[in-house]
Amino acid sequence: MLRAALLIAAKDLRQRIRDRSAIILAVIAPFALGAIFGMLLGGADAFHTRYAIADLDHGPLATAFTDQVLGSLVDAGIADVDTFDSEATATQAVRDGKASAAIVIPAGFSADVQAGRAAEMRVVGASGASVSAQIARSLVGRFADEITAVQVSLATVFELRGVPPDPAVIAEMAGRAAAVQAPIVVAETGADAREMDLRTFYAASMAILFLFFATQSGVLSLIGERRQGTLARLLAAPIPPWVVLLGKSLGGFSTGLVAMVMLIAASTLLLGARWGPPLEVGVVVVAAVVAAMGISTLVTTFARTEDQAGGWNAITAMTLAILGGSFFPLSQGPEVMASLSLVTPHAWFLRALHDLAGAQTTLLDVLPSVGVLLAMGAVTGTIGLARARGLVAGR
Amino acid sequence: MAEETVILRCAGLRKRFGERLAVDGVGFTIASGETYGLLGPNGAGKTTTISMVCGLLRRDEGEVIVDGRGIDVGAAAAKAAIGYVPQDLAIYPDLTARENLRFFGRLYGLGGHELATRIGEVLEVIGLSDRAGERTEQFSGGMKRRLNIGIGLLHRPRLLVLDEPTVGVDPQSRNAILASVEQLSGEGMAILYTTHYMEEAERLCDRVGIIDEGRIRAEGTRRELVALVGQRDRVRLTASGNLGAAAAAAARLDGVAEASARDGAIDLIVTEARSLLPRLLETVAEAGVLVKSVEVVEPDLEAVFLHLTGKALRD
Repeated sequence: MLRAALLIAAKDLRQRIRDRSAIILAVIAPFALGAIFGMLLGGADAFHTRYAIADLDHGPLATAFTDQVLGSLVDAGIADVDTFDSEATATQAVRDGKASAAIVIPAGFSADVQAGRAAEMRVVGASGASVSAQIARSLVGRFADEITAVQVSLATVFELRGVPPDPAVIAEMAGRAAAVQAPIVVAETGADAREMDLRTFYAASMAILFLFFATQSGVLSLIGERRQGTLARLLAAPIPPWVVLLGKSLGGFSTGLVAMVMLIAASTLLLGARWGPPLEVGVVVVAAVVAAMGISTLVTTFARTEDQAGGWNAITAMTLAILGGSFFPLSQGPEVMASLSLVTPHAWFLRALHDLAGAQTTLLDVLPSVGVLLAMGAVTGTIGLARARGLVAGR
Repeated sequence: MAEETVILRCAGLRKRFGERLAVDGVGFTIASGETYGLLGPNGAGKTTTISMVCGLLRRDEGEVIVDGRGIDVGAAAAKAAIGYVPQDLAIYPDLTARENLRFFGRLYGLGGHELATRIGEVLEVIGLSDRAGERTEQFSGGMKRRLNIGIGLLHRPRLLVLDEPTVGVDPQSRNAILASVEQLSGEGMAILYTTHYMEEAERLCDRVGIIDEGRIRAEGTRRELVALVGQRDRVRLTASGNLGAAAAAAARLDGVAEASARDGAIDLIVTEARSLLPRLLETVAEAGVLVKSVEVVEPDLEAVFLHLTGKALRD
């Protein structure tokens, strides 16, 4: 009997592969949309800028700023820094578009600070690079705040000692304070480190959205075969009616799985998406196909015609995709959206892939998501197949 | 009919859809090598009957035995003895003719060399050997009909069930289909053939069951059925005017057994057509009908149907 079910599934898969509209809907459309979203928004996670620095001071505070503050940006791959001899050349580099902002440390900056006199650092931003210029201003502003804090601390110490401040001592202590590394460093670990890049996110989002159109072909083709008369011929064959239902379900499952594999391969090779370790991703994808198939099977059984079923499945897929965060990261929405998303397979699928983006993630980490996806598929699929039995019951 | 040659035996078949009794106590037998026709108009219960015979439809009452085994919706193994050719074109348009045959052949348990050989033989029988590699969506209506029949033949069934296989077919393909059925019957296959075409039933069927409103009104060979009408003639008057009123007036004449109006004509079953004709023409003329032509034919199955049901086959 399993042989007959596989025969029906293989026939259905062959028909789907020959159907251009099915391939467009299941593979080309999600790939194209994922690519477009990735290109439009995918650059945000790869921010990079270039600054011009004119250090006319060369004192200890200026050196601390260039080495530690700007150096940390260079080390993180966020910015490149070009050094200039004068404010004019640094500013010219910004005008020429060679740098997003110029930071000028005037001569005597360190001495002025150490003597408790007013001192300034200047930032010149390029038009059209407001984000980069704003970051540069923030860096300078924060550096100034730290210096002010040191000055206040020193003044407090001398006030408590009841001795007048010695400029030489102040200069020496200020220099040492500026050179001290921050005692607390916030490292990038935990949730942030598990974020998918946006190319992968949108490839995965579109894949799970359009997966519903691939998996619906199972029970939907039962309605189609009833319309074209071939269902009667299948039911007249020496196989029990449930084998026809099993074959159709396997056909829908294999169509969804093939579509997902093609999408993963295409987005990896052509878009640079990083889905994660193959075995773990495979388990997550299989669970997602089961969930999508269960839901689309259930929805299809409420329809009387193929067109009606197609429309209802499209509405369901889009609604679940919006709720499940396929179009925008749920972290940017209201809290209630995050809670609502948990009823969708999309959210669990994307959560599992987010988890797999972490370097140390194993299959155990994604098992909860996989379990929820399988449970969704089992519950909706069981109800759907029970309802679909009416199509093959011979009433 | 010897008991051991009976391939299909059905008795007391009854099926109700809501308030409507679609099949009411239908029963008949078909022997090996015999072609049995179910003749009746659309909606008479032919398709419902064969759906129960093929195990596609759950019956309310009655029994179906094919080749010694009971048939029901779940009786998978017993269905292997039946070759079913539905009224709809039950083929996949996006598969080739050969792929269609291969798929259904495997579904019936054929495989390997046996399947390849049978596919070749069937393609030869239905005249599609040179088009076997083409998708059936490119086929003409007649070619699709022939493939539809070929799929039913593939596994060499003991009983072939054909549900109105010539509907919508051009005359040439229709003739080819009828010739194929005659050949299969000659080879010993039992055939259940439903149609509302009297000519097909007369040409193909060894015995005919005349079915109307879910019941078999009469059954027998053509000769036996025609005898039911007696020594009567069928007269057809092609005419214009109030044909219903004219038919009613004609029905009151002595010697007129049945009269009905349809399709611009009045059909009558009469005794002694030649002597009755002058009075008949006078009567319909008085009813305001203008007669354009007169046709007198010997009794046929159409006449039998008219005699038994009071209406024409195509009503």
